[in-house]
Amino acid sequence: MAVSGFLAFSQPFSIKVIGLHALTGFLFIIVVTCHVFNNIVPLKKYFKEPVVWVVIFVTVLLTSLFIYQPRPVRAVLGLSGNLGPVLDRFEMNESGMTYRYSPAPFYKLLLDLRTGPSFDTQNPPRLAIWLENQSFYHIKTLFVSDSSDSREMLPFWAFKVEGWENAKREAEEKELALDEVVDGVSGATQNGSFDPADYILPTDQNSSMPYRVMIEINQPGDSSQKMKDQPSLVYEVEVDNFAPRTFQLLELIGYPEFDEEKKEWAIYYVDDRFDSALEIVDSVLLQIERDLNKESTGDVKGP
Amino acid sequence: MKSSQNGNHRRGFLQKSLLGASSFAGLNIASSTHVSAESVSQADEPEITNEVDVLVVGGGSAGTIAAIQSGRAGAKTMLVERNLQLGGTTTTGGVAFPGLFDAWGKQVIAGIGWELVKESVELDGGKLPDFAKVPRAHWHNQVHLNQFIFALLAEEKCREASVELAYYEFPSSINKTENGWQVDCLGFGTRRRVFCKQIIDCTGGAEVVGLLGYERLREDERQPGSYLFKLGSPHNPAGQQLHRLYVHGADSTNSRTVTVANITGRQSILQKVRDKKMRLMHMQPETGFRESFRILGETLITVKDYTSGRLFDDAVSYAFYPVDLHTKRGVKPKPLKPGTVPSIPLSALIPKGSQNLIVAGRCVSSDRLANSGLRVQASCMGMGQSAGVAAALAAKTQTTPLKVPLADIHGLLRKHGAIIPTKS
Repeated sequence: MAVSGFLAFSQPFSIKVIGLHALTGFLFIIVVTCHVFNNIVPLKKYFKEPVVWVVIFVTVLLTSLFIYQPRPVRAVLGLSGNLGPVLDRFEMNESGMTYRYSPAPFYKLLLDLRTGPSFDTQNPPRLAIWLENQSFYHIKTLFVSDSSDSREMLPFWAFKVEGWENAKREAEEKELALDEVVDGVSGATQNGSFDPADYILPTDQNSSMPYRVMIEINQPGDSSQKMKDQPSLVYEVEVDNFAPRTFQLLELIGYPEFDEEKKEWAIYYVDDRFDSALEIVDSVLLQIERDLNKESTGDVKGP
Repeated sequence: MKSSQNGNHRRGFLQKSLLGASSFAGLNIASSTHVSAESVSQADEPEITNEVDVLVVGGGSAGTIAAIQSGRAGAKTMLVERNLQLGGTTTTGGVAFPGLFDAWGKQVIAGIGWELVKESVELDGGKLPDFAKVPRAHWHNQVHLNQFIFALLAEEKCREASVELAYYEFPSSINKTENGWQVDCLGFGTRRRVFCKQIIDCTGGAEVVGLLGYERLREDERQPGSYLFKLGSPHNPAGQQLHRLYVHGADSTNSRTVTVANITGRQSILQKVRDKKMRLMHMQPETGFRESFRILGETLITVKDYTSGRLFDDAVSYAFYPVDLHTKRGVKPKPLKPGTVPSIPLSALIPKGSQNLIVAGRCVSSDRLANSGLRVQASCMGMGQSAGVAAALAAKTQTTPLKVPLADIHGLLRKHGAIIPTKS
């Protein structure tokens, strides 16, 4: 269980690791229950020892800390790509995929992807979900399929992440704040921040910055009448905290292609070469629930 | 060796002397070309009279295209422009990145405006945006062009369409006649009387409509104008963007308000030159104005019509741009929803209750938010071509633009390369 817990902390999100961790957890509960039954008499004697009560107190304290996640705990969990200071959960079944993201008690994001007829449940499509600022910079990857070919199958997401990593490296080399580097490129101070909290959970609603929720999806080996393998498709929706909406549908914006002249990946309009790829996804609904009263206290800044 | 050195020295001396002489005598003039202007008939007469089918007032984005279209449709056409060149906001204002001709991967505005823009880019050795690429911001699909080439080509196309150009003139009074209008224009040293069957008002602020007393709409506070200039590095037309200075309160209502806006903008630019201690490398002759009067037309395009992409029954052209209202705090464009392409009805170009009069450009009958998207150059060019067709056909058939059969307008527009809004 310690091994699977460490893997869940350190490795990219994997349904196998999470499943293994859950299974070992259940196994641990069974073993503990058997152990209690087998040793009920000596255990009763233990409760007469003061050290047992100290152990119980420490256990309750640690459990509370991990449930309520005060700032130092969030800092530690934030080092993980999966756990983070958030409740972050991805589920997949035959009817679709859901991604839940709750960086603060008063904020819940749900991305509900309904599958279309071209969705192959046996060999599910590669998927990346990320946030972009108004200057089109990647600010946070929320989810990416745990597959060795994800970067290859999801080239637009990979390109965006690389741009962000380069900007971060440049900032570190020049000992600048990250947003100073971005401002130099984008020229847009308002959208220069790379801190997702500035977009998702702004401390000042009046100066909130719009951002985009993006997904890239690619079904491996999906040929069309005009293509051997249809490229990935990119969907997006803009979220404006200044005028928040609870429900929004993501729109298909196009497919990525490498622009040889500019040496970068760009999105192109879908044309008549595409057929089944357009039916991998039936719809993608973004739902954001916010409790503005709690938010205004500024208790939690988020990730 | 010695003589060679002497020879080099002598050649160097001669070269320096020649360069010195030429730079002293001619500064930057490398060569001069001699041309002869045609002699102007009745040049000594301050009062002249013209009789035309269609009079276009204002030679900006809409007016230039309207005049070319009217001329190509066979109507005897005159274009009166208060300034020194054609192109308006694109040239005099310097906003030389017209848009938007494409929406969602398809061209929605073509015809004469697109022909002019495309040829300008080609002649300048420039490159059009890749319209198959999804623009990550609306301005990625604006076409960057050389404002000077654009002005020259616009003038050439007017001449080729037999449009008579009258610069530095503006209508001072307009009266109805049996067959249309008598328009008295004033220019320096010129008093021109024009008898025409149809007027196309492309003044931006519906000045002709105002002179005739038809109802116009105007907000108490208008969007700022932009004064474009360049400090430090040389101006590279169609290359780097110019610097932009917001002139709040800029109003193109009349010569007095335009004068104030221009002086305000220029004073501020002068202050920047002093503060930044940089050379002023380029400055447009005038503020680019965004908003003044709009007409109250037979139909008023609302922001709901615009953002929903309403297809009007009498639609003559498309428009495409975000709702783009500039304020004192800047601008926050609201993009249209994917797939949405607004349309412009003929009846929104007709001042309510008027006859033999049509407008084109940013004075189109619309509410303020709809107008903030409709006012851009490509949409104005589309309107201009539609107005040119409607006016030419109306003049030919002795009727008013609103009574010209829509099928005839659509047919002639298609013949001249325009895209007509249809149910997809």
